[in-house]
Amino acid sequence: MDGTAYAPGRARAARRPLLDHRARSRLTAWVLGTLTVGFLLYQWLPILTLSLLSFSGPTGGTTFPMNGVSLHWYRELWDASIMNDFKPPLGRSFVLAIACAVTTCLLSVASAQAMRGRFRGQGLFFYLILLGIMAPGLLVGFGFALVCRILGIETAWNTTAFLVHVSWTLPFGFLTMLAIFNRFDPKLEEAALTLGASRWTAFRRITLPIVLPGVIGSLLFGFSLSYDEFARSMFTTGADITLPLAVMAQLDRQLTPELFAIGAATTVTSLLAILACTFALWGLRRAQRR
Amino acid sequence: MSSIRPGSPAAYWLALPATLWMMAAVVVPVGMIVWVSFWGGRAFSPDSPLSLDNYQRFFANRTYLALVLETLRHTATMMLICGVLGYCIAYFLVVKVRSPGWRTVLFLAFVIPFWTSALIRAIAWVPFLGVNGVINQALLATGLAEKPVEVFLYSRTGISMAQVSLYTLMASGPVVYMLAQIPPALLEAAMTLKAEPVTVFRRVIFPLTLPGVVIGQVLVFLNVMADFATVQTIGGNKIALLPNLVINFYEGAQIRAAAVVAVLLMLCMLAGVAAALRVVDVRRLGAT
Repeated sequence: MDGTAYAPGRARAARRPLLDHRARSRLTAWVLGTLTVGFLLYQWLPILTLSLLSFSGPTGGTTFPMNGVSLHWYRELWDASIMNDFKPPLGRSFVLAIACAVTTCLLSVASAQAMRGRFRGQGLFFYLILLGIMAPGLLVGFGFALVCRILGIETAWNTTAFLVHVSWTLPFGFLTMLAIFNRFDPKLEEAALTLGASRWTAFRRITLPIVLPGVIGSLLFGFSLSYDEFARSMFTTGADITLPLAVMAQLDRQLTPELFAIGAATTVTSLLAILACTFALWGLRRAQRR
Repeated sequence: MSSIRPGSPAAYWLALPATLWMMAAVVVPVGMIVWVSFWGGRAFSPDSPLSLDNYQRFFANRTYLALVLETLRHTATMMLICGVLGYCIAYFLVVKVRSPGWRTVLFLAFVIPFWTSALIRAIAWVPFLGVNGVINQALLATGLAEKPVEVFLYSRTGISMAQVSLYTLMASGPVVYMLAQIPPALLEAAMTLKAEPVTVFRRVIFPLTLPGVVIGQVLVFLNVMADFATVQTIGGNKIALLPNLVINFYEGAQIRAAAVVAVLLMLCMLAGVAAALRVVDVRRLGAT
């Protein structure tokens, strides 16, 4: 749109701007570009600094100077005492995240497929699921803790926390699937049905392979959102805590580079999850092109 | 014709698990908070008589009322900063970056932190903000400050700085989506009719992205209103906003007081979302 505009001669003579359109457009681009790059630095610097500081020497503190470079704090993390052992919470968080990913994936495919069936009350159904994004973790977690207390249910990471986590991850998977189905061409299913396939076979053999990118997306949402969830876990996890809770507990006790090490490690885990999904999508596209 | 027949019972069966799940995990708990907030008496039991005592006790305290206003003011500030910043970034990424490769790289650099832990990202700000923190070290080294500035850690400034980095993406994402939907022909038409670029932006681009702006603002609003973790991480125990009050009451075994605060928080949020829905019809977004 920029640059192609031409000002009429008369208007230009009447109110001659300081710069012409092209120059102004480039100036805007530069200003906005600087702002964007500045924000990206602002967003990434703390996490990069945290990762850097996690490699500081045994006498290093929580800020610069690092007093040498070592894996000391990672070793501390590995042979930790029972008091601040991060390994069991890490294991629980990982298992919980996998469970949430699978459940989110199944439920969001089923829900999105249901939406395509155009049933009565589907508007309400849509809003009900969206409520999971809108309702903040603080309220959902607190409310669920109240329900458990009244009904006398014991909270635990693999029961109540799982239930609440999925209510947070499901809407993201659901929206991903809806977006994929929006671009889906139903003629392909029609062809399969005309050729005598049952609806289930058509779904399994035609629909599912085409919407597989959405399925992978919902898995990623299920995994990463559950793995990092704090507010909902806080109220519904019980005595055996998950990783974010352990991190917060450690922060309350003392801020050490050990915490930076665990932060760097979880960030890398999240990045690996994204990378795995990207590779899966890439492989998928290649396989389909063949 | 598709793999599911319109209006078939199968659709209900497919929708049932998610419906039950969301009812059990979101609707019932939130309803429970409202119910508990009206419990009178002292015991924590469903037999409690219903009364307004808890609310009266809350509103009798001036400090709490001030905290409500404080929270709203803080949230409004965050919405403004994240909104403006988010719009600029969205506009740059969609309109100004021409090379698809660069756009992907910048976009990924912008989005990837969303999939990492918000708690860790908040903690990552701590070594930056302290008296001996990175910012102060940089200020001293460049001679911009004579002695360390103490306003960052355990302060509202520090909290705001961290929250801007956490929530700008939420203000930006919906705008990116709306900007990408604008057909280029529309802009060409406007310019063929000799509209100035500023006019094109003001009369065509901005109105078309308004739904995205509003949804982004709602997301920032909801998240900042309920974000106790960042406040706790960076503000320590010195700063508290409304959501922290819920935690404090809960941990102090004052369940009904916590419920009252939670209900107030909920009301503020509902009012905000209702106001936003008056501006934008969310259902029409999926159709465009």
